[in-house]
Amino acid sequence: MRRKRLERMKSTVTDIFELPREIMMNLPKITMVGSNQMLVENHKGVIEYTPQRIRVNSSIGVIRVQGKDMNLKNIAADDIMITGEVKMIEFI
Amino acid sequence: MFFYILWNFLVGYVIIRVEGLSLEKFINLTVSRGIYLWGIKRQNYTTLTARISIRGFKQLRGISHKIRCRIRIVDKRGLPFILYRYRRRKMLAVGMLVCLCIIYGLSSFVWTVDVEGTEEVDPRMVLAELESLGVKPGIFKPHIDNMLIENQLLVRIPELSWASLEIRGSRAILRVRESVLPPALVDRNTPCNIVAAKDGIIHKMIVLDGQAAVGPGQTVKKGQLLVSGIIEHPDTIGVRYVHSMGQIIARTWYQQTVELSLKEPYRQRTGRKAEIKYIGWDRFKIPYRKEEIPYTDYDLEVHKDGFFLTEIYHEAEEIQWNRNIGKMKAKLEEMAVEAVRKSMPKRAKIIDKKVKYDIIDSEKAIAVINIEALEDIAVQQSIETQ
Repeated sequence: MRRKRLERMKSTVTDIFELPREIMMNLPKITMVGSNQMLVENHKGVIEYTPQRIRVNSSIGVIRVQGKDMNLKNIAADDIMITGEVKMIEFI
Repeated sequence: MFFYILWNFLVGYVIIRVEGLSLEKFINLTVSRGIYLWGIKRQNYTTLTARISIRGFKQLRGISHKIRCRIRIVDKRGLPFILYRYRRRKMLAVGMLVCLCIIYGLSSFVWTVDVEGTEEVDPRMVLAELESLGVKPGIFKPHIDNMLIENQLLVRIPELSWASLEIRGSRAILRVRESVLPPALVDRNTPCNIVAAKDGIIHKMIVLDGQAAVGPGQTVKKGQLLVSGIIEHPDTIGVRYVHSMGQIIARTWYQQTVELSLKEPYRQRTGRKAEIKYIGWDRFKIPYRKEEIPYTDYDLEVHKDGFFLTEIYHEAEEIQWNRNIGKMKAKLEEMAVEAVRKSMPKRAKIIDKKVKYDIIDSEKAIAVINIEALEDIAVQQSIETQ
């Protein structure tokens, strides 16, 4: 109960001060260039990686990316760059 | 992106192949330890290739044990590995260093001198002056005092009104602007006569000042008085001295004899040639491609392209050639006119031309040319007033 209230307050404060949400609320930030480059910031690890399917863990659940010939172009502690043909992104 | 690639090349990286069952775990563990991975490609279910920095690779050891995978290096890329390969070859490093030193050393000299902005003044003359001031190919750059040279140049060449010497790399560029010189002043105070510069028949007289002593149609000899600067008035007894001026156009004649051998020596290239290529400057040239020159008689052709000199030796032979009479006449006339032109003032106009040809001893041909020209024969001669 308390936690939910805290979350709601955080959201209002971020809205009022126009602070970047992904930092304040610890959310993943996904940036895409066309359909062949995808950057996931603030991730929490790779669960599965095959050229057809990539699953990335994050604070709001698993992000599942489906596509063709996908590579992890670079990977660091808090961001992953996926290149290849992205067809579908799901949040589960 | 470019700097990123360059950085990776300079620091060096390895391409690794990871074999195991839980490859996602491998990725997560590596990343959580702060090791940067890039270019990850999954080859199949159990293998994966990735790129990793050299330092990162050294930190991987613990991980491979923990998650039971086999890590192998597929390829090593970057400068450190290249250097490692050549670590024993000390002379290579020395050579690189020497090369760098030579390039640095040579770049502190001036190798070309250019002059820009000349119109009337001959740029070669400016170059010669520059050379006497020390600015020439091969001079050490710090020895050039721009201000001093600019000033000296303006003093030495009065036709220039402005000069700026700029040294750009190994090039010295001199930019100049020419001054417009005032016309020479005519001193109208000294009285003078006009006399004939050469023999001729007066065609037209334009007397601006002075008393004409001859008239059109009259034959005059060299040195004869044409316009007098002493004017005596019949009414008064006074004598006035003037600075006589005018144009005296007269018909003049020129004669010239030229001869030409009937047989013409003719040099012909046989088509065989040999080349020597040099690199260098004036006396300091080093041949880098040399061919033997077996010919006794050759034409030398020199090509220059910056520091590259090519000497081409064309083998040549001399043959006697019978001249064509028609062509010879034209050539003789051309030669004769040219010879006369040399002795004629530039502004003279040729109004008539007669050429006589003759062949002597069937060996050579002679042409005698008679040219009639119109020219100004006026020459001023000062009067000695007592």
